[in-house]
Amino acid sequence: MLAEIRSVSKTYESDGNKILALDNINFQVDDNDFICIVGPSGCGKSTLLRIIVGLEKPTSGEVFFKGEVIAADNPKVAMVFQNFALFPWFTVKENIKLALEALGIKEKEQDEIASKYIKAVGLDGFERVYPRELSGGMKQRVGFARALAVEPVLLCMDEPFSSLDALTSQNLKDDLLMLWAEKNMPPDAVIMVTHNVEEAVYLANRIIILSPRPGKVMADLKIELTRPRNRKDPEFYRWVDKVYSLIV
Amino acid sequence: MIFPKVTISEIIGLLEAVNDAGGVEDAARLAGDFDLELDEILPSIDGAELLGFVEVKNGNIELTADAKMFLEMGIRERKKIIRDKVKGVELIKELRNKLLESDEQRMKKGDAIKFINNSISTNDIESYFRIIINWTRHAGLIGYNSDAEEICLLAEK
Repeated sequence: MLAEIRSVSKTYESDGNKILALDNINFQVDDNDFICIVGPSGCGKSTLLRIIVGLEKPTSGEVFFKGEVIAADNPKVAMVFQNFALFPWFTVKENIKLALEALGIKEKEQDEIASKYIKAVGLDGFERVYPRELSGGMKQRVGFARALAVEPVLLCMDEPFSSLDALTSQNLKDDLLMLWAEKNMPPDAVIMVTHNVEEAVYLANRIIILSPRPGKVMADLKIELTRPRNRKDPEFYRWVDKVYSLIV
Repeated sequence: MIFPKVTISEIIGLLEAVNDAGGVEDAARLAGDFDLELDEILPSIDGAELLGFVEVKNGNIELTADAKMFLEMGIRERKKIIRDKVKGVELIKELRNKLLESDEQRMKKGDAIKFINNSISTNDIESYFRIIINWTRHAGLIGYNSDAEEICLLAEK
């Protein structure tokens, strides 16, 4: 087992009222899991992801990573954000190297690792380009390269495709699956939050469905579709319908 | 001439979608699948056609043999194919020739824009410049230094 989310609840206080956002969430993450967490907006799925990576503390319960309570600076866990979260004053390569510098890796090695992952995501030729010059799709490729460069065991992604146009998002999903299929590439497991059911069925081998607020695990489904998956396949649509029926 | 205002990623996304439909798909249905209007998906179709990845007949988009081979490849190999395809685009060929004749194979952005404007008549030349640079960077053919506002020919690898 790679990670365990054990009895995680989260309560917010607003104007003196307590609002329960997440209610007793339990699940385990194993090697080779590609988990998509889906649920209606406001169900706390992004909050759950932030708790899993250690960016936020649960009100009760714990997240264990390889048997230890998760820490925010765990170098084996990386995050990809919806809005890319790149430093605009740094180039593509500098943005990636910065993540490595934070791990105390020497300059020469930073350079080599950054180049390796720039190539892996098809960004070669864009090394010295600033984020403002990049299309959304290319910005998110930098997001992927930066996350992969720290060679994480667990990769967490918060709606990574939702700010991209439909065709670019299609291309990036397929490229992500190609990287995922490469055995010598990190990570060992992925947890991705999405509101898009088709996207979840296309990518995941497990889908966790959260209820409307307070978010509870309503279903934990194994998606038994062979890869590569085809969105036009009737079997694909049966799974999409099944997930929808559990959400609505 | 008309140059499709679309990124390489969008073109590849379109090819993947046509492939899912079995290699041929009706343009309107494809647009519908992506919640796009027909005129929003047309630039991607034009781009794919310009690169020789699709043939368009009676509203049907059909993948060429090159596209089918391309889709079988990994990210690295795809990059090489894109390089060869973009190299063959007339406007980019002309821009590379112009750069070959220039001092140190560099050109100021303003001059490059004037050159592109000779072929593409538009009042939105800035976004065409960005798209052309998106293609040539993808292909590793022409780079752009935004600090110096200069484009330059990239060495053949």
